[in-house]
Amino acid sequence: MIGPTPAQIAEELRHFQTRLAEGARALRGLGPIETGVLPHDPVYQEDKLILYRYRPRVAEPRPVPLLIVYALVNRPYMMDLQEDRSLIRGLLDAGLDVYLIDWGYPDAGDRHLTLTDYVLRYIGHCVDHLRERHRQDSINLVGVCQGGALSLCFTALHPEKIRNLVTMVTPVDFHTPDNVLTHLVRHMDVDLLVDTLGNLPGQLLNFTFLSLSPFRLAGQKYVDLMDILDDAQALKNFLRMEKWIFDSPDQAGEAFRQFAKDFFQQNKLIKGEVVIGGQRVDLRNVAMPVLNVYASQDHLVPPAASRALAQCCGSRDYSELSFDGGHIGIYVSGRAQRQVPPAIAGWLLAR
Amino acid sequence: MAERTDPPNPSGFDIELLLKQARTYLAFGEQLQPLSERFHETMGQSGDWSEALRQHFDEFKAALAGAANDPDGHPDLARLWTVTLDTWRQAAAALGVPTTLAPLAGANGEAWRTYQKVQDQYLDCLRQAARDALDLMEQRLSERAATGATGESLRELYNLWVECNEQTYGRMLRGPDYGVLIGRLINALLSCRASGGTPA
Repeated sequence: MIGPTPAQIAEELRHFQTRLAEGARALRGLGPIETGVLPHDPVYQEDKLILYRYRPRVAEPRPVPLLIVYALVNRPYMMDLQEDRSLIRGLLDAGLDVYLIDWGYPDAGDRHLTLTDYVLRYIGHCVDHLRERHRQDSINLVGVCQGGALSLCFTALHPEKIRNLVTMVTPVDFHTPDNVLTHLVRHMDVDLLVDTLGNLPGQLLNFTFLSLSPFRLAGQKYVDLMDILDDAQALKNFLRMEKWIFDSPDQAGEAFRQFAKDFFQQNKLIKGEVVIGGQRVDLRNVAMPVLNVYASQDHLVPPAASRALAQCCGSRDYSELSFDGGHIGIYVSGRAQRQVPPAIAGWLLAR
Repeated sequence: MAERTDPPNPSGFDIELLLKQARTYLAFGEQLQPLSERFHETMGQSGDWSEALRQHFDEFKAALAGAANDPDGHPDLARLWTVTLDTWRQAAAALGVPTTLAPLAGANGEAWRTYQKVQDQYLDCLRQAARDALDLMEQRLSERAATGATGESLRELYNLWVECNEQTYGRMLRGPDYGVLIGRLINALLSCRASGGTPA
């Protein structure tokens, strides 16, 4: 039934137009949008990679450092989006010494970077730098999303260097029936793509993510924006998220080729068939304590894709943490701030 | 160490994204306005909401179908269903294909024809999902009315329209044919680029 009368609709449209004019002015007057708010300092650089140390928030942080490996897709400031939405802040408050890899923005000169470069050279060098800096044989590692898959590969190849491993919303079985990304990538000619374009343009990734829910993500979201125009803080929160969504680095061609083919198309990680640097990645070597954090409503990495780790890693101290939310909410929702960092810190500090 | 967006747009936000969707919302409202008028007239005469909805919702569907068949004729209304296509065109532009869909200069003719054919199939899929969404919306409105519930505002009706589109589009997206089609679409576009085409 069509409830509103023509007069009501006309009034709503008039009101909307007024709000729109005000909104455009409000948006233009907001000024720069800051992300990555906590103070952090570069401690190691290699090519475009920068390893940052976040300044501790306790007098004596724990001696074993924690390295966060974010995905190559999108930017890692999602881990510290704003003052009150920062997973890193929660970890620092718990007394941990936190480091984060910023991969930078690959350009044409990086098209030949392979997964061997990312896993063994970049992650490997960061891990070694922290072992040396903190005089520790092994460190704690947190891998996020695709960064979790890369962290699993590194850990399987160098288990002696990792004391505890935390994977967050990390795909392990790429062929669960509900994996939409695999569904979309499966028939893509990855060789043609990389051979033609060199690097994978970030805009193609944006299309893929937006196309999962286009009417909400590219339509309704902007109509709803009209409702928060009077709230400068809410507007800034919206714009921070917008900035992050569209801040999609290109993907280094050769690394993308192997990741798309071996992980998405052929599901080699769970089969133990991924080869990096000439060595086979065997997840049974991941025998240290493992905490696997997943989001129960994750539309990008379905819970089953993450939970498959339980069956194939070699750890006898394997735990799971289910967060009641989605792939993004697990970093930035208010509930996530209260639940996730304390749970990760508590698990680490108990080991 | 905070990262800042670059000038000249201080917030970094593309306001055109907002304006486009706002125009689309307004077009949606303008289409619903006469429908509402006729619906309430019929209701006043017969009191049969079911018949009134059936009669007049068809007109609404016809208007949207018209925009689907000729997106350039009514671009704001057409954006109600071309939102995915717009995103695809932006991605294609990033790969060096003009968004006007004109052939690439120098592109192999066969590669270009293949791309156009696949893109037409892609458009057909999107159109069908949009039509299915309108059928679903009509069904939902009828169900609501049967329980005595009415959409109280234009916004509520818009939200229902979004929900229905997400449902029918999502069903299409997860179906076995779509994965194959989107793969063919990307591969066909890449073949145009690989055959030496450059933006016209």
